[in-house]
This record gives sequence, structure tokens and C-alpha cells, in this order.
Amino acid sequence: MSPVEIGAYGIGALILLIFIGMPIGFGMLLVSFAGVAAIRNDTVALRMMTQVANDSLEEYLFAVVPLFVLMGLLVTISGVGRDTFDVFERLLRRVTAGLGIATVFANAVFASITGISIASATVFSRVAVPEMVRHGYTRTFATGVVAGSSVLGMLIPPSLLMIVYAVLAEESVGRMFLAGIGPGLLLSLIFSLTIVLLARTRWGFVFEPGSDAADYTNFTGGDLLRKSVPVIALMGLVLGGLYGGFFNPTEAGAAGAFGALVIALLRRTLDRGTFWRLLVETGQITVSVLFLILAATFFSRMLALSGVPRELAEFFLEGPVGHWGFLLIYLGLIILLGCLIDSISIMLILLPIAVPVAEAAGFDRIWFGVLTVVAVEMGLLTPPFGLSVYTIKSAMDDPDLRVGDVFRGALPFVGAMLLCLAILIVFPSIATWLARL
Amino acid sequence: QETINLTVASSHPTVIPWVGFIKSHFMAKTDELLAAKGNYKIEWNEAFGGTLYKANATLSSVEEGVTDIGWVFSFLEAAKLPLSQASSYAPFSTNNPAVQLEVMSELFETNEAFRNEWESHNLKVLGFTGTDGYDLYTKAPLNGFAALNGMKLSAPGVLGNWLRGTGANAVDGALTTFYTDIQTGVSDGVLSLALGVLPAKIYEVAPYITRVDMGVAYSGAVAINRDTWDSLPEEVQVAMIEAGKYYTKSHGEDLVTRHEAVLNKMVEIGAGQNPAVTITPMSEEDRQAWVNAMPNIAKEWADGLEAKGVPAREFMKAYLDGVRAKGEKPVRNWDDEL
Amino acid sequence: MKLGMTGGLRRIWSLAVDGLAAMGTLLIGILMLIICADIVARNLMGASLPLVSELGALLLVMIVALQLATTIRANRMARTELVSIPLENGAPRAAALLQAVFSVCGAGLLGAIAWASVRVFTKDYDSGEFIGTPGLGTLPTWPFRALILTGFGFAAIECALAALRHLRAALRGAR
Ligand code: NA
Ligand code: NA
Repeated sequence: MSPVEIGAYGIGALILLIFIGMPIGFGMLLVSFAGVAAIRNDTVALRMMTQVANDSLEEYLFAVVPLFVLMGLLVTISGVGRDTFDVFERLLRRVTAGLGIATVFANAVFASITGISIASATVFSRVAVPEMVRHGYTRTFATGVVAGSSVLGMLIPPSLLMIVYAVLAEESVGRMFLAGIGPGLLLSLIFSLTIVLLARTRWGFVFEPGSDAADYTNFTGGDLLRKSVPVIALMGLVLGGLYGGFFNPTEAGAAGAFGALVIALLRRTLDRGTFWRLLVETGQITVSVLFLILAATFFSRMLALSGVPRELAEFFLEGPVGHWGFLLIYLGLIILLGCLIDSISIMLILLPIAVPVAEAAGFDRIWFGVLTVVAVEMGLLTPPFGLSVYTIKSAMDDPDLRVGDVFRGALPFVGAMLLCLAILIVFPSIATWLARL
Repeated sequence: QETINLTVASSHPTVIPWVGFIKSHFMAKTDELLAAKGNYKIEWNEAFGGTLYKANATLSSVEEGVTDIGWVFSFLEAAKLPLSQASSYAPFSTNNPAVQLEVMSELFETNEAFRNEWESHNLKVLGFTGTDGYDLYTKAPLNGFAALNGMKLSAPGVLGNWLRGTGANAVDGALTTFYTDIQTGVSDGVLSLALGVLPAKIYEVAPYITRVDMGVAYSGAVAINRDTWDSLPEEVQVAMIEAGKYYTKSHGEDLVTRHEAVLNKMVEIGAGQNPAVTITPMSEEDRQAWVNAMPNIAKEWADGLEAKGVPAREFMKAYLDGVRAKGEKPVRNWDDEL
Repeated sequence: MKLGMTGGLRRIWSLAVDGLAAMGTLLIGILMLIICADIVARNLMGASLPLVSELGALLLVMIVALQLATTIRANRMARTELVSIPLENGAPRAAALLQAVFSVCGAGLLGAIAWASVRVFTKDYDSGEFIGTPGLGTLPTWPFRALILTGFGFAAIECALAALRHLRAALRGAR
């Protein structure tokens, strides 16, 4: 068997293992180990796996993962996430499917203080889903909205994916952040339209039979202000600190987490036991995400050793498909890979091949990065492996909630993201004008 | 004709000149030499740009056979390759990368401790790599050496040492963070290479280039795993050794011309921006004042290693002697005070 | 965890896993504090603290390693349920057997990593491997390596225990 064949069989085997329910991280390690052992030998395979375990996560930018998760949990416990949601709920209560739209906008605001989508998914699955269910929305739709709008967390700055792209494509992190704002707002708008459209045409998908009899809590303009202050303060801390020169993007996570801690303490919602439980929870979410990244790193290295990416590049990119053909195939490949592996791994596998080709094709690197991030984020929502969906499932901790239902609920939002992608391809300035200002 | 499969890899992308040269010079030359005889052909599996391992494992990946051939980045291997750090602890010694690479190639043949620290890692060194010259890129015009006092300057890792004694504060970072750090005011400028500044577009936020000519640094080697090497036919080995020498020579010469070209290019591209990119050379007196203000970092470095039994004093002397023998004039003879 | 371990041993094991996890948990707080301290130091005194980025990166690896066992015990590893849920309802013994196979694979892989990490630890210890820059501040890496290796070792054992549990369920035909 040639190395390329081994790599191809490896991909097939991994899909099968993931399908029958093997923990994805173990599946990737197993397939990669076998692949490297077949291409080289088992000593090298073992040493590579060990090197991956010891070194691949040793990257300062990954340090933001637990910090952004911790911040997400702290704002949940201190009620900042709920308040943000309440404010939008109050403002949008007269709109059709207003709670769905409120979730989208609360997420967009929340996105400006968090850098990873799983934090958004964690917060709003606990805040928005119960409220929506109470008001007669189906759980499929409620969890789908949360999953869908969680992608805003990594499109609107700060964003872990933008940092990763900037590192891999040697673009400035600050510019990539600015480039995410326009597309983030566009996507929020498209999501809202999607929700209205669903409520009008697919009533049964959005609402349970029967009418919404539940009360809305009434609160005054003063309450509204009081509820807005903490999230605005956090936004001020994170964005002001970032663009005021007090800290860099990787440090925003730590500053944000610390700010959220202070707010939680001021609001007296945090005792020592709760704080410890939050840290434990942060640890477990961090481990399940980073262990995936670790395993995916090994998988992508096995592929690099097999020569599959090179063959793919030659096959797809250097053939007679042209610049735009390349772009469409590239984005299609991302979406396809997004069904199987995590966001960062997709970027690790594809960007080294694609960036030089994009450069040669004369594409704007910032625009290319935004398209990459939007396409990569679709993978958060697509089965069988969708990280946001799994995060919602584990954050809800409800045995009756099927992963399949969440995937079904998120499907319309995958469609909305495709539309957003198309608009961004046609109008690049949505992404680039702010970054190039 | 026999086909040999070899994997060649790097932690950095091929846009970095010395990584690109592995393909355009080392591999191409090897192919050319082998094709002339017609007995062997190498099927290269390229895994450049960190797809196989990252910058924190360049040495162990070649050592353990993760790749057959790879660029070892000695900057990040201070514990395992201590003597290879010498040039980073003797700044202001030479601004000519070609000369420095010649000196390092010669030392590799003559200095047993230096050769050993590489070859004890189950590899064979084929070619050497270095950086282009370090200068200051700042947000505001720099009025001489005295103005450094109190400034915040981005400087990655070991280069923070070059700011000691100057009154400037070193802000840690990497090429990808400098732009934002300067733009947002985390730092007032950066101590960096023209070759890195251009692609990272740092001149946009730090348009005042002060040509300090702080010198070039030895950065590592292209090496092949020893087990792989031993399994290769002699004809291939001979071809690779020659290709490696060709690589080192071409890389050094390229850096000399590229450094100037890149500086000019920044002035050209940055002419339209406000403020425009300008290059001001630092005066000889200021350069002298800078070096004099520094503690003797070469001595500190050597003392630390000697305590561990590494013959660092002898090596530092040999390095500076080699540089001087080639007509370079170090601003400070760091080895006088060892 | 009834099979293969007596009550006392089980309690000690459980305490050890929780202890490692607590250590990892503590490190998350420390990570936040050192990064914040660096921000403050830079903005008030103008200079970065030494080693923060290197230490931050290494702490992260340790957090993952130290909490891996407890994450496996809590069954929080990401996986799909397309096949496993229908299988569990239709053929619970086969489902348990499948889970046992997965856990055995996990134990083997993590165990292999732990075992091979002994070499990484020894090499780092012997060569005096450090992070940071001589002259500005350095830290030896071997204590971190020791904890990483311990973490993966514990995770492997936790997987093996899960395998035993599933195997027992498969044999008894009950879950
Ligand atoms: Na964000
Ligand atoms: Na997916």
C-alpha cells in the first residue's frame, strides 16, 4: 500500500469509528497511530503520538480556551448572560418568535466579550432554552437557535478562530478581528430573518401545539438599565482593553474572566463552593475540547505524512478548475470536513495548502480568512460531529434531549450560514472595509 | 533506476526564505546531481509549514524520525543546543549573514563540542541557516540611543537580552502579535528583522526604521535523521552533502542582498502611507554607547554553561575570532572580558 | 468500579483521581492570575513579567493531562450517538460490548502515551531542558513532564476500569 492509500483508508476508518460511537478523540488517535505505523513503523508512531500529547497543546493562544470557558460560566452564574437575554426579551416580546431573535442578539452582544463559541453555547443553553420552552417553543427549535447563534461567538471579536487563522496565514490578529464585525452583524440579521420565516411557514417546527400562556416578567426602565450595566462594563473592559492597548487578544480572555469574577462577587452570586464547581466544570469542558484538538493534530500529521493533502491540493487546486472553482471546492471541502473534525484541526489541515494557492489566485487574505472562518464554523452545527451541539447537550445535562433533535433544530441555521457565505463572496467589502480602514 | 521515498518537513512555511530554499536549492540540487548519474531518484513527500510538527519540536522530530529531513530551529533548543546560541549572546559582531554561516560551517568541522551537541541527537547536519540583520522599528522617530530610555519595545525571547542596560523595557511577543501590540500601544516598537517585518506589515504601524545594524544570528541547520542517512546509498549521500553546501552558500548570499532589497521595498510600499516609512541609520557613537551600556551577556552566557561543563568560553572566543578573521569588526570584543 | 477493586482501594483511587483534577482546577485559576499579573505589570511598570507566555502554554498541557481521568470518568468525551442509542435499546449486551472495546482502545492508547512519556521525562531531566531565556528567566520542564505523564497514566487506568465495567454489563446482560 502506498502512503496515500494508507491515508485514504485512514479517513474511511475514522468516519466509520465516529459513526459507530467511538469517542472521537480515541478514534483519531487509533487511526493515526495505525496509519503512521503502516507508513513508517510503530516506534515512530508511538513517538509521534507522545510528542503530540506533550507538545501540540503547548501554545500560548490555547490558554484562552479555559479562560473564555471560565468567563462564560462566571457570567452565567452571576446572571450577566441571563440579563443580556432579558433585555432583548423585553425589547422584542411583541415580535413574532421574539425570543428566538432575542437569543440571536443576546448572543451577538455576548460574542463581543467571549472568544469561543462553546462559551456562548453553554451560557444560552442554560438561559435561553428553558425560557423559550416555558413560552411554548419546541425544544428542537430552542436548542437549534442557541446552537446556531453560538457561532457568532467566534465571528464577532475577540475570536479564537480568527487568532488561529492569523497565526497560520501570517495576518495581523487585530485586522482579522475587525474583519469579523461586519460579517457577524450580517449573520445576526440573516439568522433573525430565518427565525421569522420559520415562524411564519413552519409553525410546528418552532412552537408546541397550544398558545403561549406563560407570563413575561415585567420590569421597569430602571431594571432594564441595571441589567444592561454589567454586560456593557464587560464589553468595555474586553474591547476597551484590547483596542486601548492595555492587553493583547490572548490576554483578553484572562482579563474578561477576571472581570466576570469581580461582577459575580459584587452581585454576591458566588460562594467558595460554587466557584470551585465552576472551575471543575471549566476543566472538564476544556479537556474535552483540547483533547479533541490534540487528537486531531495527530490525525492531521498522519495525513501530512501520507501525502494526502498534497494529492488533494494537486487534484483540486492545480487542475482545470480556475480561481473561483478553487474557492468553491475549498469551501466545500471545509464544510465536508466540518462534519467530521473540529474547527482548528480543519484549519491546521487545509490552510497550509490553501493559503499559497489563494495568494497566487490574488485573493484578499483577510477576506479569504473570513470566508474560511464562516465555513469552518458551519462544522459546529453539522452532524455527526458538531461541537456546539455537543456542548449544548452536555451543558443541558438532560437525558431526554437527543443530540439528533439539536442537529435538526440547527439545520436551518446551517442554511442561513450558507447564504451569508454567498453574500460575503459577492460583496467582499462587508469583511474588508473595516479591517482596511 | 531506484526510487527513494523521503519526507522533508519544517515548522515554518516556505515563504520563509531558508525554508523555501530547502525546496528550491537543497532538494533541486540533490535531484539535479542524482539525475546526472541516473541511478537513483528521490520521491519527496513535502510537509512544510508545521503540518508534521511545530516550532517547539524541530530537533526531536528529526532525531526521532518523525521526518527524514527537516529544518532544526536552534533558537528554541537552548537546552539541547547550548553552544549554537553563541551568536545571540554576542550582538553587534557582524552584519553579514554569509560570513557568519561560513564561520559556523568551519566551526562545525573544527570544534568537537559544537559538532557533538548536534550529532548526539541522532542526526547528520547538511546545511546551516541564519537570520538577516536586526534593527529597530518604532511608532515615533527615535532620537538616538538615549531616547530608548523608558520605551516599551517588543522583542521575542532571547533578544530581550539585547535591550538590557539601554533603559528600554522588553515586551515579550512573536512576529504575529507585534502588529497589534504596536497598533494598540502595548509596545512602542519592535526589535526585529526586515525579513519578518515586511510580510507581517509591521512597517504600517511602526514606520520609523532605525538602522542599528545589531547584527545577524545563527538560527539552525537543515539536518537528516541518522538512521535514514545510514540507509541511503553512498551516491545519494555524496549528492546531499554537496547540495547542503550549495544550500548554505546560496542562503547566506541571498540574505545579504535580500535584507537590503526588503528594506528598500518597505520604503517603496510605505511611501504613500502617513507617516511614510523612513530609514535613519544609527550613528556609530550611539551604537558604541548601546553596546557599552549592556552588561556582558556573552560572559553571563558562558559562565552559566561552563558551570554545567559546556566549553562555552572557548567556543565564544572561536566564534568571534572566526568573525574577525573574515574582516568583520565587532563593536565590542565580548571575549576580552570572558 | 465494583469489579477488580475492593472498597478501600476504590476509595483511595477515587481520591487520587479527584486530587489530580483538583490540581488541574487550581491551575486554571493560577493561569488567569499570572496572565492578569502580566497585564498589570506591563501597564504599571512598563515591562512584561518573565516566562508568562511559556508558562501559560505549559500550564495548559498540564490542565488537560491532570483532568483527563476525571473527564473520562464523567463520560464527557465527545462522541456521536447515531448508532449507540438505538443499539442500547435493541441489543444492550452488544452495546456494552462495543463500549468495552472502545474503552480498551482508549486505555491502550493513553497507556502507550504515558509509557512513552517516561522517555520524554528522562530526556528532559537528563538534558536539563528548560523554558524561557537564559539571562531573563528559566524554569526546568521535568516537573511538568512528570505531571503530564502521571495524568495520562491515570486516564489510562480510568479507561481500563470503564472497560471492566462495560464488560461486566455485557456478560451479565444488564446495565
Ligand atoms: Na467573540
Ligand atoms: Na460538524
